[in-house]
Amino acid sequence: MIEVIAGGRWTTIQDRGRPGLERFGIPPGGAADWFAARIANELVGNLPDAALLECTATGPTLRFDVDRIVAVTGGQVDSAADWQAVRVARGSSLAIGMIAPGLRTYVAVRGGIDVPVVLGSRSFCQLGTFGGGFGRPLAAGDRLPIGRMFGHELVVEPWPPSHRLPLQGPWEVHVIAGPQIDAFTGDALERLAATACRVTPEIDRMGLRLKSPGLRLQSQEILTVPMTAGAIQVTPSGGLIVLHVDHQTTGGYPVIATVVGADLALLAQARPGDTVRFRAVDPAEAARAARRLTDWLHRES
Amino acid sequence: MWRIAPAGDRALLITIGTVIDPALLGQVLALDRALQDQRPRGLLSTVPAYASLLCRFDPGVTDVARLADAVRQFEGAEEVSIPSTPVVEIPTRYDGPDLPEVALKTLLTPAGLIELHAGREYLVYCVGFAPGFTYCGALPDEIAVPRLASPRLRVPAGSIGIAGRQTGIYAVESPGGWNLIGRTALRLFDPSADPSTRFKPGDRLRFVPIP
Repeated sequence: MIEVIAGGRWTTIQDRGRPGLERFGIPPGGAADWFAARIANELVGNLPDAALLECTATGPTLRFDVDRIVAVTGGQVDSAADWQAVRVARGSSLAIGMIAPGLRTYVAVRGGIDVPVVLGSRSFCQLGTFGGGFGRPLAAGDRLPIGRMFGHELVVEPWPPSHRLPLQGPWEVHVIAGPQIDAFTGDALERLAATACRVTPEIDRMGLRLKSPGLRLQSQEILTVPMTAGAIQVTPSGGLIVLHVDHQTTGGYPVIATVVGADLALLAQARPGDTVRFRAVDPAEAARAARRLTDWLHRES
Repeated sequence: MWRIAPAGDRALLITIGTVIDPALLGQVLALDRALQDQRPRGLLSTVPAYASLLCRFDPGVTDVARLADAVRQFEGAEEVSIPSTPVVEIPTRYDGPDLPEVALKTLLTPAGLIELHAGREYLVYCVGFAPGFTYCGALPDEIAVPRLASPRLRVPAGSIGIAGRQTGIYAVESPGGWNLIGRTALRLFDPSADPSTRFKPGDRLRFVPIP
């Protein structure tokens, strides 16, 4: 059992989410920075499906009632467990504290956080206020049971910096045109790619609102269509909303381009004021980018 | 002709039409069933909405071109009707905060507005946006009003709203920009139930006023 001494700014239990239930209006969810979360589980020897803590901006303080192996990845924190599996002794505490650079930090405990599975996942779903053990972010006094979802020995050495994603902007994010690219004038995507967009304070797991000075895209509402994580919606006033893992499953703003799955991890670490540049790629290049991260996970190349 | 376009590197979107039309929903649901039956390699799941269908796929197994080919073979199939299901009654208390305003805009009395809203059967076109949110149509023209200029941050679960020629039921508390005219105590989303939502596209429902 782990006791939450302080909940932090917005700490939720996440795993790989519940993709496939979008037809019920349920977002896929799961760790926003899927790559950092995967590494945290890898470091402590967990299965990829094990649930862990996703901390936002300021992390929690946790007290352990037995010895546990812990690893912390993602946004940088001042901890011995930063990108490394360490033993936290019984009776001692782990304080995650301020996160910077980056926005989201993952805390994996060997065995995984063992809260009940709801609709196929332990992830907290904000839109439906269910899952994540408590149906809300963690609060002081919560007690987290630890499971047995380990698959291999823990990784002894720290995770190599060469196999981590950047934690600081400017962010270069790969996109694939569409699906509603036809709703825009011919050069809209080129103009989007040439614009330094800025992250506003309106960011959460559902999506990020960006400012795009000088871009002025024209759009009109369309008949409601299914949406995916990474969809860059253009509102009638020309604003940009990039949907993230807890996204609305359908929407009525046309999507000019969609961020590739691998790069959702980058947007999960973006902070207000950061610069984002979109670069259009074809599916083959997106596949290469995804493969590179898979190789990193297996510590190849 | 269906428009098939990538939606990122792991999904493609098939757009069958751009208007609210039961015949288009019929085609969406028929394609959805056909794909569920045939399960093209690499297809993970589908999401139907009004006149489009999203197909999520595993990019390690298939790609947009191959999946698009699998989809194209169903294009132009004979006219398909939506399987008939019993009409579900939604006990509705017409006391929404926007009811007076909508009545003013539509030059109706509140009673006249309620009569028009409750006086017909609706088709469920989509479950989406948030868990269990049920999009229905089509609303009579006389009571079609635009969305609110600025959305509410919190709309309570069970709220019944109208926007354009659509009416919808909020299954969970969420933000929302529709004009709220009533509410129901019926539970439309339960994460512990299977299926978790009360409705699916193609279902039929009717609002029944209660005091």
